[in-house]
Amino acid sequence: MTELTLYEEAMCCSTGVCGPDPDEELVEVSAALDQLEAEFENVDVSRANMQHNIDQFLETQPISDLVEEHGPSILPITVVDDEIVAKSEYLSYDELAAALDAATPTQEA
Amino acid sequence: MSTTPTDARAVVEPTNEETEFVFFSGKGGVGKSTVSCATATWLADNDYETLLVTTDPAPNLSDIFGQDIGHEVTAIDDIENLSAIEIDPDAAAEEYRQETIEPMRQLLDDEQLETVEEQLNSPCVEEIAAFDNFVDFMDSPEYDVVVFDTAPTGHTIRLMELPSDWNAELEKGGSTCIGPAASMEERKQDYERAIDTLQDDERTSFAFVGKPEDSSIDEIERSASDLGDLGIESQLLIINGYLPDSVCEDPFFEGKHEDEQAVIERARTDFDADAMATYPLQPGEIAGLDLLADVGGVLYDGDEATVDVGTATDGDTETAIDFESMADAEAVADQLRPGDETQYLFFTGKGGVGKSTIASTAATKLAEAGHETLVVTTDPAAHLEDIFGERVGHEPTSVGQANLDAARIDQEKALEEYRTQVLDHVTEMYEDKEDTQIDVDAAIANVREELESPCAEEMAALEKFVSYFDEDGYDVVVFDTAPTGHTLRLLELPSDWKGFMDLGSLTKGAAPAKGDQYDEVIETMKDPERSTFAFVMYPEYTPMMEAYRAAADLEDQVGIETSLVVANYLLPEEYGDNAFFEKRRAQQQEYLGEISDRFDVPMMLAPLRQDEPVGLDELRAFGAEITGLDDITEETEPEVTAS
Repeated sequence: MTELTLYEEAMCCSTGVCGPDPDEELVEVSAALDQLEAEFENVDVSRANMQHNIDQFLETQPISDLVEEHGPSILPITVVDDEIVAKSEYLSYDELAAALDAATPTQEA
Repeated sequence: MSTTPTDARAVVEPTNEETEFVFFSGKGGVGKSTVSCATATWLADNDYETLLVTTDPAPNLSDIFGQDIGHEVTAIDDIENLSAIEIDPDAAAEEYRQETIEPMRQLLDDEQLETVEEQLNSPCVEEIAAFDNFVDFMDSPEYDVVVFDTAPTGHTIRLMELPSDWNAELEKGGSTCIGPAASMEERKQDYERAIDTLQDDERTSFAFVGKPEDSSIDEIERSASDLGDLGIESQLLIINGYLPDSVCEDPFFEGKHEDEQAVIERARTDFDADAMATYPLQPGEIAGLDLLADVGGVLYDGDEATVDVGTATDGDTETAIDFESMADAEAVADQLRPGDETQYLFFTGKGGVGKSTIASTAATKLAEAGHETLVVTTDPAAHLEDIFGERVGHEPTSVGQANLDAARIDQEKALEEYRTQVLDHVTEMYEDKEDTQIDVDAAIANVREELESPCAEEMAALEKFVSYFDEDGYDVVVFDTAPTGHTLRLLELPSDWKGFMDLGSLTKGAAPAKGDQYDEVIETMKDPERSTFAFVMYPEYTPMMEAYRAAADLEDQVGIETSLVVANYLLPEEYGDNAFFEKRRAQQQEYLGEISDRFDVPMMLAPLRQDEPVGLDELRAFGAEITGLDDITEETEPEVTAS
């Protein structure tokens, strides 16, 4: 099982449709994650944001170290099976798919 | 008239081994605390171990029982089997926020924490915290019965029911709009149990307390139907504070008495509750064990109420309200009149204080004085139509008076507009990105689903509210704000959302386009030259305290100062010439003094009328009496309505 985890800053709703205008980036990434989860067997997608899942940040040493050092601007962090694949930005669907492709067949991590 | 006390008794009296719960719901000022205290006292007197829980932010239990109570469960000195606790809902919300923030201290610096804290300063969080208070006491096996002087609303329960869907939501690691999913997960079972108990009519009774007024009964029917949708039945209706027949000795008060009895009759036929009971208005405030026992006796034992007016005036005949010295007509008019730019008037206050009438009256007078005026209601009950006797719709339309338009925010339409806007935005966004392999339809369907949330409703209402700041062509826009805490929520949200957007933009660069528009609206509301916040209340303890607290919140949270108060329903001098009304007047006088001290702003004084003004003629006449605007209306001939 490959795990894709997104560590995000504190936010009200991760869907992006909770404000006056939809947050394009969040809408996009939410849709991308849903689609990836449907398309890839054996991929488990989860999202942690600092407001709602602070424990997960604190329990994951590399993440809490990064945030402590750089502040929340280092977020979002994308992790595929313990390996950090992106910092400070959301990946697109294509990029996420590529990262998963790289991780899935070989199961190196 | 003869009540059916045994029915009321059957509702509140425990019958099971397990602890039972009685919730009293109703607007401030209807005597909810009194009824709760009387009920708790009656239960204790009947040998039930009883706990009374109040979450009133300005509790007056200590006045009622003559004893300090506070945040710990405290035994009531003179009543065996009775304990009480006062929970401060603000403190509870703050505690909840701090618990949420605490673990973040390790990772975030002060500035970042502050942003998170501001974000948690939301109505949703307050509702969760308030619900926590109920949950905490819904596991109290040491008591036979727990009486709450407040009840969760349908809205709160709907929020808290989401837990049933949380499993799915939590597994996705997603978060709901209502708070820290992680910390709520621990309480999930408690919430579920609490909601089960709330829905179990063997263990839980919901009772409404209201005044003998149509608006009060309408409001209760709405709330009850909200609860009904969630499988919660309202079992008891208590109508409190009707005028005793014996003291109504002139046509004015005889008329009032008749109106009230008609409302009570209507409630008896219309309201689908197992039991109904009534209690009369007393000449003074209800405090002390004797009066509490009287209330309990009337409600649950079928006793006759004792209305002891005592001797007329004990040496203090100077109870006439000195309108002249208190009301400064010119100062009031100053607060209403527009300057060079569009003026925004907000009439705020709890339901039943007469806001819509006051707002419509002011709007009519301003229009009459030649100012292009728009009056907007956010009240779902849409009283404006009744007041003007004209159709009032979602878009501003004329209501007959030259220069005057009215509009009503239609929640459903506002929500539809908001949904369309968001979906259009998302669709457009994907149109520009042809290179992705994303399933656009699925993505849009997702968003559509997300828009089925309570948050979307809030946003929609806010959007509509903000849009009225962009209406062109008006000198004055008068808001008759919604009668619940909803008003404050609407007003506070701009600041909350600004915090939200700032937070979002920390990493995402550009602030959403709406940010500037919201900033402008907040700035306008904060500018005393352009905006007037008027609190409408009647001179009694609870309405005054509620208004005062709401005003303090506005100032603390949004930086908006109150600049006018309207004291409504003042007893007229020319009627009610007996000891009963003398005492009522003396009491009003006392609270008027206190309102004046507390708020220290110009005061508009509005008398109790035989009937509320309806139609333009009556509104104009009433306005001449109370707004101080009459001196500027001379010679303004009606013109053809421009807008």
